[in-house]
Amino acid sequence: MGRTAITVDDASTIRRMISFTLRGAGHEVLEAADGMEALTLLKARSVDLVISDINMPRMDGIELTRQLRALDRHKATPILLLTTESDPAMKNKGKLAGATGWLVKPFQQEQLLAVVAKIFAR
Amino acid sequence: MKEDLQSQLISELVIESLEGLDAFDHEILDLERGGVSPDSWNNAFRIIHTIKGSSGCIGFNEVELVAHAGESLLTVLRDGRMTPDAAVFSNLLRYSDALREMMRSIEEKGNEGDADHTQLVRDIQALHSGITGTGKPGNQKQSFGFFDDEAETPVGFAGEAGPESPGSSRNTVDKASEKESSAVRVSESIAPKLSSDSAIRVDVSQIDRLMNLVGELVLARNQIVQSADQQADPAHFAAVQRINLITSELQESVMKTRMHPIGNVWAKFPRIIRDLCHELGKEVSLAMEGSETELDRTIIEAIKDPMTHIIRNAIDHGIETPEERRTAGKLAQGRLNLRAFHEGGQVNIEISDDGNGIDAERVLQKAIQRGLVTAEQGSRMSHREMLALIFLPGLSTAEKVTNVSGRGVGMDVVRTNIEKIGGNVDLYSEPGKGATIRIKIPLTLAIIPALVVTCCGDRYAIPAASLVELVRIEGDQIAKAIEHIHDAQVYRLRGNLLPIVHLAKELELKPSGHADDALFLIVLQAEGRQFGLAVDGINDTEEIVVKPLGKEMKGLTVYAGATIMGDGKVALILDVMGLARRASLLDEGDRQTRSRKALEEAARSAHSQAQGEMRSLLVAHVGRNRIAIPLSCIARLEEISADKIESAGKIEVIQYRGRIMTVLRLSAVLGIESARRTADPGDDPELLALVVCALETENVGVIVDSIEDIVEASIQIEIREGQRGILGSAIVQQRVTDLLDIKELARMAA
Repeated sequence: MGRTAITVDDASTIRRMISFTLRGAGHEVLEAADGMEALTLLKARSVDLVISDINMPRMDGIELTRQLRALDRHKATPILLLTTESDPAMKNKGKLAGATGWLVKPFQQEQLLAVVAKIFAR
Repeated sequence: MKEDLQSQLISELVIESLEGLDAFDHEILDLERGGVSPDSWNNAFRIIHTIKGSSGCIGFNEVELVAHAGESLLTVLRDGRMTPDAAVFSNLLRYSDALREMMRSIEEKGNEGDADHTQLVRDIQALHSGITGTGKPGNQKQSFGFFDDEAETPVGFAGEAGPESPGSSRNTVDKASEKESSAVRVSESIAPKLSSDSAIRVDVSQIDRLMNLVGELVLARNQIVQSADQQADPAHFAAVQRINLITSELQESVMKTRMHPIGNVWAKFPRIIRDLCHELGKEVSLAMEGSETELDRTIIEAIKDPMTHIIRNAIDHGIETPEERRTAGKLAQGRLNLRAFHEGGQVNIEISDDGNGIDAERVLQKAIQRGLVTAEQGSRMSHREMLALIFLPGLSTAEKVTNVSGRGVGMDVVRTNIEKIGGNVDLYSEPGKGATIRIKIPLTLAIIPALVVTCCGDRYAIPAASLVELVRIEGDQIAKAIEHIHDAQVYRLRGNLLPIVHLAKELELKPSGHADDALFLIVLQAEGRQFGLAVDGINDTEEIVVKPLGKEMKGLTVYAGATIMGDGKVALILDVMGLARRASLLDEGDRQTRSRKALEEAARSAHSQAQGEMRSLLVAHVGRNRIAIPLSCIARLEEISADKIESAGKIEVIQYRGRIMTVLRLSAVLGIESARRTADPGDDPELLALVVCALETENVGVIVDSIEDIVEASIQIEIREGQRGILGSAIVQQRVTDLLDIKELARMAA
């Protein structure tokens, strides 16, 4: 059963890769180029998964997570943060903001599929 | 990953990264100059962060590794944990070059190249080793994890192997199906904003193809419009009009998709300038104006290298070292201005510096040394022409050869490249104050507005960009309007003398015969000079699609291409500059120098008339007398054969340009004994010098013994009563000269 995910990243390469991979797995994928765009969109609709980069212009992934958790609609939406930073402090920030999990960038398609499958299975 | 996706991702990565690196350089240069934008470090960091993430995902590990090294340094800098010094900036730029290099290699060869970056990575790490450790990317074992797992298991354990435990976010997602329809509507309204810049990337070849198709459509449209004009079906005509409008709009839109702001090319100049200045120990500030000016992408591509070369030249040869500048009383920091603006359907690009300028004399000396021009040619050159010598192949004014702007190969290449795309380049310089190079280029190459003219039965298209104005001269005024100075024909256009080029003559066409009822002059602009192109007829302006000429015809410099006209026939597009060259208006040839000298003389005469002091006179001899005729009333100088003179009643006439013109033998009229011996009946008919004078209503031919010169003199006439036809005498060139009164002479003859 296909779900709907949104990929939030300022790098179109990443967005494209994520969309392609998840669409291949039968999911629908929306795209947003930064937190602000994603928030605008997500205020209006629900999704089954948010995959967001952390470092983005205008609004970063941490702030997006915080804002989404403040919305009734997204109290429980799984939010996966992409991070290249091995910095534990960043992960902690994500956790405090209410993110569901993290995925280390760079990742292979298989890893993405695995984590998404896990989330959807929960 | 599927092949096509992989290659798509790669090309996206390359484009995104190269754009990012240019922006990165900007930020770093800003910061180096002491910019205080708090976002600069953050922006630089994000760019690298993105490159690292994206390239890692696609599997370019070397890029990722190198990117990571810089990212760590940028993290430290962004957080203000370190104050950057010159070494940091230099290494960051070196670093962005390395990444750029890898991206280019990926683009061209599909791999990251074999350059060894370990030293660079080590250098970068060394810069901040005191502050942080040297983390390596991907040093985490697990690639993902869930925070709620971590809450229950020791940190570091989570990951794929982690048990799935219940947690706050475990709840299955709200399907929100009941709101789905409204949600979709809302999301659609937001959709245009959705992608990063609501822009898509399209393969250039796709757009080129589109452009070609639109070109064909324009041609077909032209044909339809032409045939519809002749029909009397209003409904059909209205439809044609709509097609006409829509095609124009479509064409405009497609052209717009090919447009790029010139700033895209300029973006790399700050970096080039910085590196050059470091290398040469100079200080230069760069100002850019009009970077949003848009140009066709093919043109942008074509001007990239020439512009880079000009800028390198300006810094290497133009702008002095800070010490030299101070000595010259200038600011230590040199100024380089880039300016772009639209003007008359063309884009002008100016590159000016406030450096040492170009010494025209020295350019000339070099050119003479190299045998490019003779000293004799040089002596007749104007300042501007001397400067233009710099565009000749094999001329360099640099005292020493530097590796910055090379061995003086270049300015000729610059000119060739710019002319190739239908542009032209001009140089202005004031020694000691700086130099300006002005490039004029067409907006687009594909479809251009053009004026269609007829000459000898064939049609030709003239690009409207070089068109200044049209002049129609009625048949009976041609003789009066066209003046002859030596062997050059000129037309006096509002006080300026316009050299005339006959298209039929230049193209060696056979005249169609019916000419002379009217003369059409098309005033054209080529390299800052104007000239009048004489044609048989002017048809219309039309949008034409430029089709390149086959390579067999590439050598024909008078044609810029060909096009298909509304009736399906082919017309050649004239290359205005090539034409001017061919007519020797722009070349350095003898003929040009002569005609130019003549023009200058004539220009002085025009000037003198305005001033009322100086006068240009034609000096001729009759017997032992020296006579002068004001140049302003002379239409032509001719040589006629004596047997052409016929008698009509008591007066002598000749047939001149299809009309009968009275001829006056000055010697007879003035009662002076001619120096010429009377012709023996058996001799060949003698050639007579005939001065055609234009009077208000008619022309009068005046026969003199010989024509000496055209002089410009400030004369004082001593009125001499008693001799009809002579106004008086004056001293011209230290000799007594009689000034003719042409009007009176004509009355005497009648």
